Amino acid sequence: MEHVIEVSELTKYYGDFCAVDHISFNVEKGEVFGFLGPNGAGKTTTVRMLTGISIPSAGWAKIMGHDIRKQSVEAKELMGIVPDTSNVYTELSAWDNLTFTGQLYGMSKSDREGRANELLEMFELHDRRHEKLEDYSRGMRRRVCIAMALMNRSSILFLDEPTSGLDVQSVITIRELIGKLNHEGLTVFLTTHNMEEASRMCDRIAIINHGKIAAIDTPEMLKRTAEGLQSVEVSFEATNRDIHDELARMPGVEETLKQGDKFRLYTDDPPSVLSEVWDYANRNELKLITVNTHGPSLEDVFVKLTGIREEPRKGGGRGMKGQGRGRGVNR
Amino acid sequence: MRRSRLARELKVAWAIAAKDMKIYYLRTPSLMFGILFPFSMFLSFVIGRNMPISRAIPVLVAQTVFFAASTIGPVSIPMERRLQTFDRFLSAPVSLLTVLLGKTIAGFIYGVGISLIPVVLGLSIFNSQITDLVALSLGVALSAFGFAAMGIMFASLPGQGPGQVMMPLNFVRIPLLFVSGVYVPVKDLPSWGQMASAASPLTHTIELVRLGLGGESFFEPAVNVMILAVYAVVFLLAGMRFHISNQKRE
Repeated sequence: MEHVIEVSELTKYYGDFCAVDHISFNVEKGEVFGFLGPNGAGKTTTVRMLTGISIPSAGWAKIMGHDIRKQSVEAKELMGIVPDTSNVYTELSAWDNLTFTGQLYGMSKSDREGRANELLEMFELHDRRHEKLEDYSRGMRRRVCIAMALMNRSSILFLDEPTSGLDVQSVITIRELIGKLNHEGLTVFLTTHNMEEASRMCDRIAIINHGKIAAIDTPEMLKRTAEGLQSVEVSFEATNRDIHDELARMPGVEETLKQGDKFRLYTDDPPSVLSEVWDYANRNELKLITVNTHGPSLEDVFVKLTGIREEPRKGGGRGMKGQGRGRGVNR
Repeated sequence: MRRSRLARELKVAWAIAAKDMKIYYLRTPSLMFGILFPFSMFLSFVIGRNMPISRAIPVLVAQTVFFAASTIGPVSIPMERRLQTFDRFLSAPVSLLTVLLGKTIAGFIYGVGISLIPVVLGLSIFNSQITDLVALSLGVALSAFGFAAMGIMFASLPGQGPGQVMMPLNFVRIPLLFVSGVYVPVKDLPSWGQMASAASPLTHTIELVRLGLGGESFFEPAVNVMILAVYAVVFLLAGMRFHISNQKRE
């Protein structure tokens, strides 16, 4: 396997605070590599160091064999970057933004104009190419930002939270584009805190928390590390009973999590819990609306490794936000 | 190979300068601190004083080149840092020196352009005469470059907007007016004032401009040129050093 990104002991301190703590990993050619972590975990800081924007406090990184500090020009020629905010020039048109980016990469006039036309067509912005970006929607600016990152026909694309804050249609469009570009051979380094996005798009994922890498593997292998986290999802017709507490006390249920009108019951033995739920519904004359069983999700793995969860759970005394489930994995 | 690399870096520097001209020249802070400020300061000092026009025009030329050239960097860089567009330069395959050179060129052209206004006014309305074109050109050009680099150096101070950079910059710019022989000729300053004025780059601007427009200079013109050139290089390299420190810190 050819490593296009090599990172060794990369570290960043802000004063006494260690934002990225001696991380090491490799990214293979042609893969979509996800960098998954909560806000403040060190994702953006890592991208800023890998793209030469920020200087590491220690460690090194190579882009296709070029050290990002010692051979920064050669390394930067091979990459495109889409930061977490669309850093486009809103005073300029899409055309001017793209051709200016071409100039930064030393492209000839004919080459940059040809490439700008090609990308504007690809991103469906050609008709509005001469309008200033201050008149564009957020999704359109995001597309311009991605197009700018592709101007130099980069081999590696760094995407920092590419779909954050966008409407559903823009998210779908951008995910499809990233998939298409990867299919054409582009290596993608994607940071996200969206687990569904990481699970759906990435070949491998590194989970980062508090500046340290907690695990690196394929999404499915990561899910296997949390095999004990199978669950049964149920919902009932409206009732005044305190279902949540009663489900939490059910034999075999380790934890319960309320998700809207549904309850997720975590268990090692889904068939027994299903049977218990069926008996409970009959006994209390409750009508079951939904019954599903789930294997562990990437979110479960993430919670297990980082201790960060979206909603409090009941049962087992492990329901506080930000507290770990205490079974860390580092593969 | 090396020559093509240099040519490419210069083209990129020019592209950055052209982009800055398009975006920042007509911004309110550029107009306020680069044009309005030097003209209004000049008027407040000149009106009511019996200053002959032959002395006033060089003062206005020196003051406009000083303020205008040193304003563009402190307007563009903090805005670009806030909007993260400055990161585009840091992640582009060019040296930091090229980026700062591009920014300096934008300030240089602004400074030269604005300072031409009083020169043209002087020639066309007040019967000023150019007696030494070389001195005037070198004075304006070297000063515009050096003060643009000075603005870039100040713009490397961490801050969220132009105002936060303008404050310390004006803290330096305004006192320099009083020790640089702008309103009081160097020969009339006390000895400590003459020493201070020798160290001020603005002194050498006003000296060369005065010489170019028919006046006299206190220092040798070669000394003026040399000191301005040294300041330009020092400001540019110091700005680069400060930006690298920012990259280490941020």
